[in-house]
Amino acid sequence: MPAQPQANAKTSLEIDRATHTIRLTRVFDASRVQIFEAWTKPEQVTCWWDAAGAPLTACEIDLRPGGAFKFVTQSHPEMPFAGIYREITPPDRLVFEAMGATGRVVLKAVADKTRMTVEIECSSAEHLDQFLKMGVDVGTSQTLDNLVTYACRRFVAPS
Amino acid sequence: MRTDRCVSILDHALLDTYIARWQYSHMEMKERRSQQLNSAFHALGDPTRRAILARLISGEATVSELMEPFQLSQPTISKHLKVLEKAGLIEGGRDAQRRPRRLAPLAMKGIADWIEPFRQQWESRLRNLDSHLAKIKKQEK
Repeated sequence: MPAQPQANAKTSLEIDRATHTIRLTRVFDASRVQIFEAWTKPEQVTCWWDAAGAPLTACEIDLRPGGAFKFVTQSHPEMPFAGIYREITPPDRLVFEAMGATGRVVLKAVADKTRMTVEIECSSAEHLDQFLKMGVDVGTSQTLDNLVTYACRRFVAPS
Repeated sequence: MRTDRCVSILDHALLDTYIARWQYSHMEMKERRSQQLNSAFHALGDPTRRAILARLISGEATVSELMEPFQLSQPTISKHLKVLEKAGLIEGGRDAQRRPRRLAPLAMKGIADWIEPFRQQWESRLRNLDSHLAKIKKQEK
């Protein structure tokens, strides 16, 4: 087992304009149960959700179909990630609605690892554009912080 | 030939190549840029056009060179090329007689720039998740 499994780990991003879907895929060196819990237990979500790396200032999870959730970051308290759970099928599937889009987390066991796919299905192509643009606004403040590590990784291991 | 449904031009390896190449040049023509992005995304919405772009990554090609692998008629290819050209994704090559087409690099940069912050946000988030899971695993042992 490599000491740092995340060293060459990468997230793949696909944008399917036909179905207005953004799809992120990444393989984790963890079980489906562990990842499912990381998505559904507040004390765990708070550890990783904020891209800036800070713990969440609020993390509310009512884990049942129709139950609400709300993740609030330190850097953008005015823009909480909030929505409603639609489908909870541990350990492989979590469906929720947030910001007008449907989010789907699908976990598949691959050998002793897990491939996680996060799909964000928007209601229209325009909505998809908006969604990506939101990333621009939120991402800008993080860009500088992340740029150094990000650029290093990118240029050290070009694909 | 790549005709997969997802925007193959935006796939990982390709995007990295584009970003690396144009990372340090900046374009600030927002209005024009957003219009161009719209038409670029429209153009990228078609699998044949994405396949044509994927082919042009390996070098410029004429209409007749494009006809063969795609098994499409000349008017059909020309129609697709027109959409790509209008979207600013491709341009005419140097040889005026053969009229080869090639990728227009700056248009691709526009798309890459636009998606990059979103991508970075998720890359960071999932990197955090990765470290978090490593910790959990250690605790469980």
